[in-house]
Amino acid sequence: MFKFLPTLVRWSRIPLVLAGTALLAGCEYNFWRMDGHQSTIAVEGPVAREQLQVFYVTVWVTLVIFVLVGGVLAYATLKFRARNDADEHAEPPSQSHGNPLIELSLIGASVLALVIIAIPTLRGIWYTYDVPEADKANAYEITAHGFQWWFKFEYPAEQAAGENNTKMTLVTGNELVIPAGRPVRVHLRTVDVIHSFWVPKLAGKVDMIPNRANHLWMQADKPGYFWGQCAEYCGDSHAVMRFRVIALGPRDFNDWLEQQLQTGRTVQGNVASADQPRAQFASLRTFKQNEAGISDRFDLQPLEAWKAKQAPEANEDPRLVARGRELFSQKQCNGCHTIRGHGAGGITGPDLTHVGSRTTIAAGLIENTPEQLQRWIHNPSAVKPGNKMAVGYIQQKITLTPEDEVALVAYLLSLK
Amino acid sequence: MELAKSAYLTKEDHAPTQPKLLTHPTVKAGLMGWLTTVDHKRIGFLYGFFALFFFLVGGFEALLIRTQLMVPNNDVLTAQQYNTLFTMHGTTMIFLAVMPLSSAFFNFIMPLQIGARDVAFPRLNAFSLWMFVAGAIILNIGWFLPQATHGAPDGGWFGYAPLTSKTYIPKHSIDYWVMGLQLLGVASIAASLNFIVTIINMRAPGMTMMRLPVFSWMTLITSFLIILSFPAITIALVELMMDRQFGTSFFEVSNGGMPILWQHLFWVFGHPEVYILILPAMGIISEILPTFSRKPLFGYPIVVFSGAAIGFLGFAVWSHHMFTTGMGTVATAAFALATMAIAVPTGVKIFNWIGTLWGGHLQMRTPMMFALGFVWMFMIGGFSGVMHAAAPADAQQQDSYFVIAHFHYVLIGGSLFALLAGIHYWFPLMFGKKVSEFWGKLSFWVIFVGFNVTFFPMHFLGLNGMPRRTFTYDPNLGWNFPNLLATVGSYVLGIGIFIYFVVMVYTFFKGQRVGRDIWDGRTLEWSLPNPPPEYNYRVTPTVHARDAWWYEKNHREETEKEQEAHAQEEEAHGGIHMPFGSIWPLITSIGVLIGAIGVSALDAGKDPKLAVCLVGGAVMFIGIYFWSLEGNEGYHIHLDKDGNVVREEHS
Repeated sequence: MFKFLPTLVRWSRIPLVLAGTALLAGCEYNFWRMDGHQSTIAVEGPVAREQLQVFYVTVWVTLVIFVLVGGVLAYATLKFRARNDADEHAEPPSQSHGNPLIELSLIGASVLALVIIAIPTLRGIWYTYDVPEADKANAYEITAHGFQWWFKFEYPAEQAAGENNTKMTLVTGNELVIPAGRPVRVHLRTVDVIHSFWVPKLAGKVDMIPNRANHLWMQADKPGYFWGQCAEYCGDSHAVMRFRVIALGPRDFNDWLEQQLQTGRTVQGNVASADQPRAQFASLRTFKQNEAGISDRFDLQPLEAWKAKQAPEANEDPRLVARGRELFSQKQCNGCHTIRGHGAGGITGPDLTHVGSRTTIAAGLIENTPEQLQRWIHNPSAVKPGNKMAVGYIQQKITLTPEDEVALVAYLLSLK
Repeated sequence: MELAKSAYLTKEDHAPTQPKLLTHPTVKAGLMGWLTTVDHKRIGFLYGFFALFFFLVGGFEALLIRTQLMVPNNDVLTAQQYNTLFTMHGTTMIFLAVMPLSSAFFNFIMPLQIGARDVAFPRLNAFSLWMFVAGAIILNIGWFLPQATHGAPDGGWFGYAPLTSKTYIPKHSIDYWVMGLQLLGVASIAASLNFIVTIINMRAPGMTMMRLPVFSWMTLITSFLIILSFPAITIALVELMMDRQFGTSFFEVSNGGMPILWQHLFWVFGHPEVYILILPAMGIISEILPTFSRKPLFGYPIVVFSGAAIGFLGFAVWSHHMFTTGMGTVATAAFALATMAIAVPTGVKIFNWIGTLWGGHLQMRTPMMFALGFVWMFMIGGFSGVMHAAAPADAQQQDSYFVIAHFHYVLIGGSLFALLAGIHYWFPLMFGKKVSEFWGKLSFWVIFVGFNVTFFPMHFLGLNGMPRRTFTYDPNLGWNFPNLLATVGSYVLGIGIFIYFVVMVYTFFKGQRVGRDIWDGRTLEWSLPNPPPEYNYRVTPTVHARDAWWYEKNHREETEKEQEAHAQEEEAHGGIHMPFGSIWPLITSIGVLIGAIGVSALDAGKDPKLAVCLVGGAVMFIGIYFWSLEGNEGYHIHLDKDGNVVREEHS
């Protein structure tokens, strides 16, 4: 009944092979080039480069062995295959049991191949562990804290302006700005579960483990905008716990620092009354679950997009901003968030003193545009399942009207 | 299975004065026959049955995972569902599919290979089986309970503290995981002790250790790995249970707990576990390649020794799972080098398999196809393993899709291919029927292609920075096409597995009947009629060479004379001694199951938690008590020269 099937199977191999080749040739350009934003191949710093070089050594060594061993295996399979009935029923071959000389020499050869891998591995372990002695004095220190599900970045050397002329350590959230061309030593801490700090283009990951003082170092060759992500499963929203690293040249970095050290920007204006907000977007459209919140411009010139974000928004409405500022404390946002100089000192959530100057919100997940920001504060758990802001809404019975949301968005985006 | 045809009793054979409760079950057919069985072949069959069921469950979970990841920002599953699915996929495949499937072969094949009539402790063997079933029930019970307060385990198969603490996952899902794994650990350790005693004590005369078939050697080594590694995870799980149930602080950070401790305990178990999954597979391959090459295994002593070396070194490399935990330079270097060292004995095995093929007459039957597929896929998985051993490279690969590609090449391309090969290989022996070559090979090719299309692109995904355990990803990271490809591949793989099983089930019921030793086998099990009778060997064989059955076939006259002499001796000693069936291993396991449900599913405040635990403990105690009173007597079977049962004698 199925006699035709073997022939069919034999013939169907040809179109299969052709289809496969076409598929691979015509596929998305960066599948084989692997130059995505989180590529470990298109690296842009010495640590990631060292790790890549070790990887290449392993690839070449194993590739050579694979070709040799695979070649012998393929040859043996083809050569000694029973081809016909006569072969099948032939007398069994010589019942040989092995050859110690061949085996010992193969063991020797494998050990040698491993030594070739071991040497750069050992060098790499020491090199990637900490900033090289010669550069240590020059290293910039950062402390990164993992939270479910976002990152807090502390600049221990920088004292920022707090309330009433007090000083406090500079803190940012989810976007880490570092000086380019200079080693950066990141101390890794966590406030809850284990997270892992990973910026593939700059350095391999190191975990943030409770009760453990880990660190890593990295360095960006030149100014750039880098994608990072938590790499250790940390609960519901692990997949959307992302962050960015922005590396700036010395002058840009100093300018940025100067801006960050100031208190939150204040826009002068009277409070718009609740019945007359100038709605920037009449009603929030419905978002699909997990809908992407990033526009294409980041892929083209992310660093430029970041730089543009440092200047005040074009169509800022001072009345709306003032109303938003009022709401920020009315709705108890300040219970979790800090905005230096605006009387908000909560530390459960990210520091928002300069949130308007960041390119992304919700831990690198969505772009910091009015629409996406409103999407976030409208229903945080729809964007990031299980997050603490949604829990806070429920516990504090916080409800927001569309007008409230618009005002809050205007206020947050004014914080440059 | 027609193992029970010979239930033949006369009135005077009945034991006269046992109290009713302590009457040994003599029924061999029907449900009670299966529930009270102590026959290693039936237990092996049941292990295989449950393992394959859970293999399909785990596979279905995998297909859901791949469906969610088919396109970026997909919303087929919620984050919570996705996290539960990947946790249960891993846990199911490791503990409920691959391990018990290996155990099915240990049970069914190993005693046959060493010329024994059963394992050393038949009732303990039944207990292992039922404990495994109890563990599987506990692990999966959460699917059927309210998701908000119960739910299936969702802390990852590795269960890293402190995410699994009550602070972060207050619902019962983690309790099911803890108790489920504990029960499975009891099952595995009991079974392993049984296998070790069996192999050491019950080999047929002449079966020296260096004549032991490689599969039985790997059973022995794997069993040692299990009894040495499971205590580590048992301790970790007890500590976690204490944290969750009684408020201790082993991993509770706010009270000074040490989460890193969990990782060390888990991987001290977890890495040997990898070899627990792969060594049986290597054993199967080492049986199949010689049979279908029609020549002995190349370098038998070195294959056996390298298996043992892998077992030893397997305990010295656990921290390569922790290269990114900031162990410091020296520890990282030590574990990196030890991990590289383990590649040597592994490579040796591959060399010897190729040496076995060399100069042989290769018969390309379905088991051989799967076995050759294994060698290729395992080689690729081994090479990506060496890449992880280079710790600086691993810093980029750890917890990325590169790792997923690596271990699926080792566990599907490795373990699973070998187990599928083993099913094809021993199916004629187990059931007396043979799978059609055409359908067998077709399923092999579909599985082979589907597998590679699924997992090869994942190497590139990982190198392109996609982390594991993520329920969604953005479209701008270059991951779209490989993910789509992997999902399509997983469907092809699913179809291949579907064909494989449909063909197996069809063959089981309607397949072509075959005679004894259809592969022209080399080891003792092929000397048996199929399916093998409950007493296995009419006459305990005497072993004269490493490939014992091959030797017998070439020395017929000598063997027959020897066997007749032995048959008379055995008859003079009262015939073949067989153990009675027993219900008490099952009762004991049910007691443990009740207790485990009490611990994991109930809340102390509002449920009768303590009462349920006590009831479970009482049932368990009753089970053990009567089990020990039952004694170890059995009955005797008397056979004629052709192996027909003349009578059974119940003492």
